[in-house]
Amino acid sequence: MSQFQLWHYDGETATRRIVKLRADAHGFRLEDVENDWTGQRISWSDLLFIGREAGRSAYGHRQIPGWRLGFSGDAPPDIAARLPGGERYGRWIDRFGLWPAAGAFALAAAVVVYGVLQSPAWLAPLVPQSWENSMGDAMVGDLGGRVCHGGAGEAALAQMVAKIDPKGEAREVVVTNIPLINAITLPGGRIILFDGLLQQAQSPDEVAGVLGHELGHVRHRDTLAGLIRQLGLSVVLGGFSGDAGGYLNGALALSYGREAEDAADGVAIEQMRAAHVSPAATAGFFERLGHVEGDDDAARAMTWLSSHPLSADRRARFAGAVDKNAQYAPALDTVQWKALLAMCASDPDVADPWGRQK
Amino acid sequence: MEEDAQASFAFEGRWRDYAPIAFTNLLLTIVTLGIYRFWGTARSRRYLWANSRFIDDHLEWTGTGKELFVGFLMVIVLIGLPFLFLQFGAQALILQGREELAAALTLAAFFTIFYFTGVARFRALRYRLARTWWRGIRGGSDDSGFGFGVQYMWRTMIAYAPMGLLIPWSMMSLWNRRMNRMSFGSETLVASGRARPLMGRFLLFYLAPLLFVLLAIATAGTFGSELGGGVRVMSNFPPVLRIIAFLVIFVGVYVLLGLIALAYYAAFLREAISNLHWGGLQFSFEASTDDWLALFFGDIALVVLTLGIGAIFLDYRHWKFFITHLGASGEINLDQLGQSQTKASRHGEGLLDAFDVGAF
Repeated sequence: MSQFQLWHYDGETATRRIVKLRADAHGFRLEDVENDWTGQRISWSDLLFIGREAGRSAYGHRQIPGWRLGFSGDAPPDIAARLPGGERYGRWIDRFGLWPAAGAFALAAAVVVYGVLQSPAWLAPLVPQSWENSMGDAMVGDLGGRVCHGGAGEAALAQMVAKIDPKGEAREVVVTNIPLINAITLPGGRIILFDGLLQQAQSPDEVAGVLGHELGHVRHRDTLAGLIRQLGLSVVLGGFSGDAGGYLNGALALSYGREAEDAADGVAIEQMRAAHVSPAATAGFFERLGHVEGDDDAARAMTWLSSHPLSADRRARFAGAVDKNAQYAPALDTVQWKALLAMCASDPDVADPWGRQK
Repeated sequence: MEEDAQASFAFEGRWRDYAPIAFTNLLLTIVTLGIYRFWGTARSRRYLWANSRFIDDHLEWTGTGKELFVGFLMVIVLIGLPFLFLQFGAQALILQGREELAAALTLAAFFTIFYFTGVARFRALRYRLARTWWRGIRGGSDDSGFGFGVQYMWRTMIAYAPMGLLIPWSMMSLWNRRMNRMSFGSETLVASGRARPLMGRFLLFYLAPLLFVLLAIATAGTFGSELGGGVRVMSNFPPVLRIIAFLVIFVGVYVLLGLIALAYYAAFLREAISNLHWGGLQFSFEASTDDWLALFFGDIALVVLTLGIGAIFLDYRHWKFFITHLGASGEINLDQLGQSQTKASRHGEGLLDAFDVGAF
């Protein structure tokens, strides 16, 4: 007991006092006998655990900032019994213990991530189509004048759309003057074919396959689901600092994307069968693009293939969908196909790919 | 109480004692999808502060995870959300062919970030001082930092105008300005660092263009390409040697640039902190360029050799480095040192967290 020494700061000056504690039933007073000083009466319930480090313990007061009482080593039992405990990991975790709490959090995290990944597919159909349409229009507008026009080419495109999308599920299908091998579906059911994709294709059937695939995204409202998912992931993973969240976000968005891609392939095959267009060319198209772009990562990143990963399974699926007994007709005849290919080059009014009006 | 410079600050922590904190923080951060990191930061600071001795008593960290979390949420709502819409809007405007408006919006967004980076630097220091206690008193500031944001913008912009020659002045004047608004207890901090002593080190940066020319020649020589203006560089070394030579020069140039930056920063902190006064005390910071190098390469080795896990010890290393090299000399009357009368902000350093800038 003689070695036990209490020190005290009153929170008003930095003066350190060596004190004795005079306890009663509900509280105590601190006394500095040498300097003839006695502190105000403190109740035990106002004490606050500050910390214990290297054998030094410190306690504060709930109402007086900076008021401190501290000691080294262990307090005598009569005092120790009255001192409040402190937090270690945080209040919730301390209550359950580290491992049970970590397990519970991991379970909750798995549920949250699963929910964020899955719920957009359930939520997207609940958003009124008109909302999606006006949001899509606000985001994209007229594509800066890059949409190609031209009598025969437009007529050919309309012909192909009528075959693949007879119910008019896509609100609009256009060709843009952008030399990337790409096709995208925008929110609001608009499909954009890039001129680069047309130029790379060797037959209208290949373009019909891509169009059917994009129509699948329109039917399943995948772009809206994608937007909702991105938003959800960025909120959920916002807690991670820096790049970790971003990488995780991208990886999760991608892995979810493949399911939607498979479903879109199914729609493409279905629509082509109904239109009597052979899926054989689409399988060949995948194979050829794989060779053209395969070695060049920079080019890959900018093409249809980067968001539509190529796999032997997909190619086989299209090839396997060919019905030997079916009567197939080309998606467009030669004249129409040439008109479609020439549409952007022969349009005098279209803006160039970098948005300048000619 | 009179103080001898280097004995006044000491770090008494051991990494073995810190390890359980670091590893449990990592575990809990992962299973809570990152949310625990605010509580983890508070826990790790409680340890670091409690093991840092100033004169005859230890520091105390009283900031909480909840504060940091609330600060983070405030930034998300007040800055993050408007920003998301702005970004969305700018993209939509580009696709609609209204590039000028999109550029104006992007510029506005850039300046907003720029401004709040300055504010965040100020408020982070204010928050850290307000949550740091020593002998029952704390620090803080009554300045909101909004004015500092403006100062930060124009002083940073003007620094780059004359070929970057005013960067040392800009950095030092901003340091002084920020420190001079801070106090600990009843005594204010007084900062009077000068830019002139830094100029020698800073001028080394102007060697950089020379280094890049060297790099260009090495690149051209390695791959036998044109340097421009019809000058063709050829090498007769075998390809393996050429590539090794190229790598050595390439890495060498970047290491040299890093060394210059380190040498400059070492000089900056020495000058800034040794002209910082508080009460009758004068602070000092005795980390030489060699010390910084050891810290820097130690960090890299620690992270690489542990496949990234070692990153959880970086905060520990940096704090230890800071406290170990910090000193104070002079005289201070502790009986005269009263409590801080500054307002303590209730939320943490969310802004700073979002922009990822340090308090020092």
